[in-house]
Amino acid sequence: MRNKSVLLRAAAGLAVASLALTACSQQSNTGTDGDGGGGNEEPSAGYPEVFNDEVTEDGTPGGTFRLGIVEPAAIDPYTAYESEGLLVTDNLFTGLVHTTSSGETVPALATEWSSNDDCSEWTFNLQTGTKFHNGEEVTSASFKRGWERVTAKASASDVAYHFDQIEGYDEMQAGTANQLSGVDASDPAVLKVSLASPSCEFYLRTAHTAFSPVPEVAGPGQNEAYNNQPIGNGPFMMDGPWQHDQGIKLKRFDDYNAGPKAYLDAVEITILVGDDAQQKELDGLNNGQFDWARVPPNQLAVTREKYEPQDGWISKKTFGIDYLQVAVTKPPTDSAKARKAISMAIDRPSIIEGVFDGSRAPATAFVPGGFQDAYQPGVCDACEYNPEEAKKLAEEAGLTEGTELNFQFNTGGGHEQWTAAVKQQLEKNLGLKVNYSGVEFNDMLENQQSPDSAGIYRLSWGADYATPGNFLQPLFSTAAIGTDDPNAPATGDNPGRYSNPEFDDLIKRAAATKDEAERIKLYQQAEQICIGEDLAAIPMFERQQFRAFDSSKWANAGDMDFHENPKLDVIYQK
Amino acid sequence: MAKFITRRLAHAVLVIIAATFLIYLGLFVLGDPFASSGEKTVPPEIQEALREKFGMNQPFFMQYLTYLQNMFTFDFGIDFEQRRDVGDMLAAAVPATARLAVIAILIEIVIGLTAGVIAAVSQYTFRDVFITIITTLGIGIPVFVIGIGLRAGLSGEWIFPAVPRSFTVETPWWQEIILPAFTLAILDAAFIARLMRGSMLEVLRADYVRTARAKGLSERKVIGKHAFRNSVIPVVTYTGVSLGVLLGGALITETIFEYQGLGFLLVRAIQQHNNPVIVPIVVFAVLTFVVLSTLVDILYAYLDPRIRLH
Repeated sequence: MRNKSVLLRAAAGLAVASLALTACSQQSNTGTDGDGGGGNEEPSAGYPEVFNDEVTEDGTPGGTFRLGIVEPAAIDPYTAYESEGLLVTDNLFTGLVHTTSSGETVPALATEWSSNDDCSEWTFNLQTGTKFHNGEEVTSASFKRGWERVTAKASASDVAYHFDQIEGYDEMQAGTANQLSGVDASDPAVLKVSLASPSCEFYLRTAHTAFSPVPEVAGPGQNEAYNNQPIGNGPFMMDGPWQHDQGIKLKRFDDYNAGPKAYLDAVEITILVGDDAQQKELDGLNNGQFDWARVPPNQLAVTREKYEPQDGWISKKTFGIDYLQVAVTKPPTDSAKARKAISMAIDRPSIIEGVFDGSRAPATAFVPGGFQDAYQPGVCDACEYNPEEAKKLAEEAGLTEGTELNFQFNTGGGHEQWTAAVKQQLEKNLGLKVNYSGVEFNDMLENQQSPDSAGIYRLSWGADYATPGNFLQPLFSTAAIGTDDPNAPATGDNPGRYSNPEFDDLIKRAAATKDEAERIKLYQQAEQICIGEDLAAIPMFERQQFRAFDSSKWANAGDMDFHENPKLDVIYQK
Repeated sequence: MAKFITRRLAHAVLVIIAATFLIYLGLFVLGDPFASSGEKTVPPEIQEALREKFGMNQPFFMQYLTYLQNMFTFDFGIDFEQRRDVGDMLAAAVPATARLAVIAILIEIVIGLTAGVIAAVSQYTFRDVFITIITTLGIGIPVFVIGIGLRAGLSGEWIFPAVPRSFTVETPWWQEIILPAFTLAILDAAFIARLMRGSMLEVLRADYVRTARAKGLSERKVIGKHAFRNSVIPVVTYTGVSLGVLLGGALITETIFEYQGLGFLLVRAIQQHNNPVIVPIVVFAVLTFVVLSTLVDILYAYLDPRIRLH
């Protein structure tokens, strides 16, 4: 209970601060919110959330939806991962389960699923009679084929690691097996999976398109014909092969029966090139070439002003966070007090106002607000700006006038301005001597991983799967350091080398807990430890995404999916 | 003569081997292309599989030798990003760049020579001064300013395709090429005009021109037949070098107009650290330059026997 009142006070303090700071940008929410979490009751800095995830079902088939993206790395599920590639694969394929725009996992081709008590054996019952775009029937063998295609060593897939819990994964990656021994497809309507490292959240992973079924013609991973024109089982199919650097055409799959058919006749995806791709998308929307666009940061205010009154504006907190990664084993950031001092010396709301035009919200937790049940706003009590307290903590932690602190960011990602502001505030409020530098991302990564890594680094994290655990285990668990040797590079996603047995134990227990509510409680406790107590990383901003679209032509378009793409399967022409 | 040519060709081969080695070494030392994916680290087993896939699990010298060997059979491997056959990517980009280079050269020759001749025959008149001012501007304004200006002002209007344009819009190649070709041609045209003016003025003062005039030939014949032919030689040399540069890909212009040639491909490959694409394009650029300068040398040797003695 005591904890809760602290949280409340922190939230209230934040609310007051943010209201004062964003008085001019907080215009009235125009009331297009759906009932799915759009009503953000907590006042905080940042543009209010505006989206409509209600799906009306009175569309008639027709229309071509046009948008621009940058060239994807792949549209074949065997190695597609970035948002652009997933825009295509998500619509070409229907997997076992589906993650909704609000992060819920719902049945797709699997009508139901269950596991044994220790979550090591999973059974998925499949909907029967569904077809690939070439007419071939989708069975459990199609899934097995797809999964083996991803994990085969020769495929060298970027996303194979999503399968690492499954029995036989190591042999596939080592190239000593050509079958994933943990997957049983003997009954065409049932897919059975054995896990080498049991997890009660395994089913969530299967929402990733890497877990898609593929038809026999798919062949091995490297198969140029299929890589450029994947034949899937989703609501859309390829209309001709991917024209590299130019575009991709999709058309409705008329025999789709794994769910509601799409309304759109076709989708035209134009591939845009260059650092200013977002600007080109917006230009394209403004001149009628596109129906949907991302919005570059410097165009947010004008675009919102234009599109919000026409209900063509989407503003949504999504599943990601910007943070400062901290080397927690090296001075001067080797104590929680020092890290909290640094965090409290950063005035997030004023940076947001000055650099992001008030469009984003300061983070006060590490697990994003998208996870409504797990979200603990204010769990980071040191995320509130308090220069006096910061100064006091800094003195106790031995951070004195002139103490050197390394601070590195990666160039080319638009992080120059806000990191420079953080540097200034740390110098002004704590008197630190900040060694501030910008380098290429891979160089920064190498520095972070090095045993000599010290100080703080700019990073961000986005969800792979819809679970709060995805924001905790890969970043803060001892196993995620990637090495036991303090003198070897830390090759995992926890290069700060944070290690706390209590945290590790909670994560382990969560993975072994079948009950979702129980599991979420354990994750919350884990976050309370790694962020609330230890502040192993310093949360900065919540991820918030903005889109504009042509609302005069399209309905059901007022929301973005889990990968921040338009929901092509429900959009219809007005 | 045969000996001279053999020696030049041997030089060319050495230059190419040295160039590939340096480029390969530079990219190799630049860092690990498989360390991260998006902003996440890549698990060790995945990195291992990727290295093996791209043949990068070998020691550096083995990699280089294999690469060199494959290159001589036109096998450039697959790229890091989309895993496409690099040979196919080059086969699509090289003709586009060659077309652009040739059209640009034609434009600059026509404009440059015309302006140069007009300026020379009407020396110190308004026309001459006007052309001098324009050519000064043409040489002085950076290519990217001209390109961005043309793109902002003209693309999407009349016959000029929009940049970027929807891929479903079919555009004939000549429409696509006009603006980038003009952008490339402006600087060189201005330079050629100046070159032509200077060399023509010199020729016009030569004795044989005076003789031709004294013989009562028409002014048109004097300029067109006697003066022009003799003053065009430095322009031919300059154009040859210019062609060599353009064939390697026009990075800035192609990028501004999103013209799918070698330069644009190279820019994108550099941004993505897509080494398998960078290496052959740079080698190709070196190669065209070496070949063209060798040809020019041979041509010189043919024209001027004194060179062979050195």
